[in-house]
Amino acid sequence: MSIVKICNVKYSYNGNRTVLKNICTEFDMGKIYAILGPSGCGKTTLLSLLGGLDSPSDGQVLFQGEDIEKRGLAWHRKNNVAFIFQSYNLIEYMTPAENVALTSKLPPLPILERLGLTKEEAKRNVLKLSGGQQQRVAIARALASDAGVILADEPTGNLDEDTAVEITNILKECAHEMNKCVIIVTHSNDLAKQADVILCLKKGELQKL
Amino acid sequence: MNFTQRAMLYISRKKGKTVSLFLVVFVVAVFLISCFGVLNASERLSRDIRISLGAAFYIRANTEVQMNENGETEVKENNIHIVQKEIDEIMQTGEIKYYNPINYGFAKSDVIQFIPGDKHTKESNMGKVTALRFSALAPNFTDETAVLTEGKHITEADKGKILISEQLANANKLSVGDTLTLTHAKLGEADGAYIDEIPVKTAYAQVEVLGIYKLNTPDTAIKPTAGVADNEIYASLDVLNELHESETGVYTGEVDFYITDPAKLESITRNVQILQSIDWTTHFIRTNDFQYSKITDQLSSLSDLVKILLVLVSVVSTAFLTLLLTMRMRSRMQETGILLSVGVSKGQIIGGLLLEVLSVTIIALVLSYITSLCVTGFLGHSLFGELQPNLINEETITAGMQNSLQIENYLKLSAVETLFIYLCQLVVIAASTFVSSIMIMRLKPKEILSKMS
Repeated sequence: MSIVKICNVKYSYNGNRTVLKNICTEFDMGKIYAILGPSGCGKTTLLSLLGGLDSPSDGQVLFQGEDIEKRGLAWHRKNNVAFIFQSYNLIEYMTPAENVALTSKLPPLPILERLGLTKEEAKRNVLKLSGGQQQRVAIARALASDAGVILADEPTGNLDEDTAVEITNILKECAHEMNKCVIIVTHSNDLAKQADVILCLKKGELQKL
Repeated sequence: MNFTQRAMLYISRKKGKTVSLFLVVFVVAVFLISCFGVLNASERLSRDIRISLGAAFYIRANTEVQMNENGETEVKENNIHIVQKEIDEIMQTGEIKYYNPINYGFAKSDVIQFIPGDKHTKESNMGKVTALRFSALAPNFTDETAVLTEGKHITEADKGKILISEQLANANKLSVGDTLTLTHAKLGEADGAYIDEIPVKTAYAQVEVLGIYKLNTPDTAIKPTAGVADNEIYASLDVLNELHESETGVYTGEVDFYITDPAKLESITRNVQILQSIDWTTHFIRTNDFQYSKITDQLSSLSDLVKILLVLVSVVSTAFLTLLLTMRMRSRMQETGILLSVGVSKGQIIGGLLLEVLSVTIIALVLSYITSLCVTGFLGHSLFGELQPNLINEETITAGMQNSLQIENYLKLSAVETLFIYLCQLVVIAASTFVSSIMIMRLKPKEILSKMS
């Protein structure tokens, strides 16, 4: 079932350089999507439009059939989507548990433990954790929000091979077992191969591979 | 997690940044409160000097000074005195608050052993009596050569009252409330010795010790006993009348006229000097503004300096605080991007920042108040200590009570003034936070996250 739909979405920087041209596509729940493409082709921009971090120059982004601008982008970001970034983007003066608590009123420890962090690690300063552990905290924060769509921008870009595999497996679990729609922007063919659907963004157009 | 919890976490975890903000606000607040305290004190002091008896002019019947056959100067008693009628005419010229006529004489008492002076004998055991209407207005008290330490000053309502020096009181075990009998005396000189020219006593006055004064400067000059400063007795006017040394309404000494506004001293004396009924060839006039002009000039310069300092500090501290808060905001751009990406509204983010800054500010302001009390006291004593005037106010004149001027009372700002200064600081800090956060808040979340990466 389609949860997010983009209709005729165009995006250009300052009205000059067009990076997205009339893009139309749908994203279903329970699936993992990988968006591939060369650097600067607009992959992150597309992810930002899906997540309500920016507005398209033209066209609409629909969440469960409703334009996300209708209730406001902040509302969309808070209730419908969750982000996972390459650089983790955790608040540095908070512990992992506190970072997870940013998006949820539920106790953060069970989620962190499920993702492999111990109680002690959950109470440390986030900067004292390894890259893999920090990305797990970022995923925990995304899961804690209870959003239907997880938007991941190069989630394994800063990680070693083994950790990247672990993180990929967690994302697959999110899609297949938790019935979330996971959309990943990546350069990694290995990660893309794990996706249910691979999309390629080239010259402003999105093609299914 | 709500914005209050986030703000408290930031304050407790980012101790360095919290302390630096605290210190800046604290220092600025202490400085502002201290400067406003000094400014307030200089203005209030200036005003009080104006409304107190800030100036006087004195009229004295001219005594004739002649050279005798040996070539020595000799003061000749010409029997020209100031009478009540002349005083009444002067008072009618207006803007004169009080007059204080003075009569001089000498007195003895069986129960007083005066502080011995040069060539002291039983016969010269006498003291000078200065009889007046208001002892607080006697030149020795206005210029603070003498200070009342116990009891009250003599006022126009008092009869049979005297003030004696602390040294005389101690030497004769006298205290406030004691009564004694004075008799008349006149200092003379015969065969190189000081004598009493009234050997047969016919006049007596029953007096009560109303107050005791202390001389601030010791009298070291060689004088007869009657001339020793500690032997001077200040008395109500009736005392010398009873001792047959003066008449009611006739004054041998000078008469002091006190005006309320020192700025008008010149014009008032001009008006008095045009009175035709007074013979100005035998009466002379002198003025005294008790250093009013010097003090007010100094206070005015100080006040101007503090105002300039306040403007400079306010501008510099506002600029510095805005810069500090802008830097603080920039260092939190990533956090802002993260919060926006998880759906926290811009209003909540700004609310959190304001709460953080204002919480630290309020603590700094409370502590600054305590510190500023000490700083203001120190500044006040350093700046005003030298020009502390002896204010003669209504209470001193009418009730005889003299409270020495307490600089601390002038330096203290009222609760409303203090709260107003703090409120202004809070508004400036809140506005600075708001302005510095607007730059980031105007960016789209994507732009913030792009800048972060």
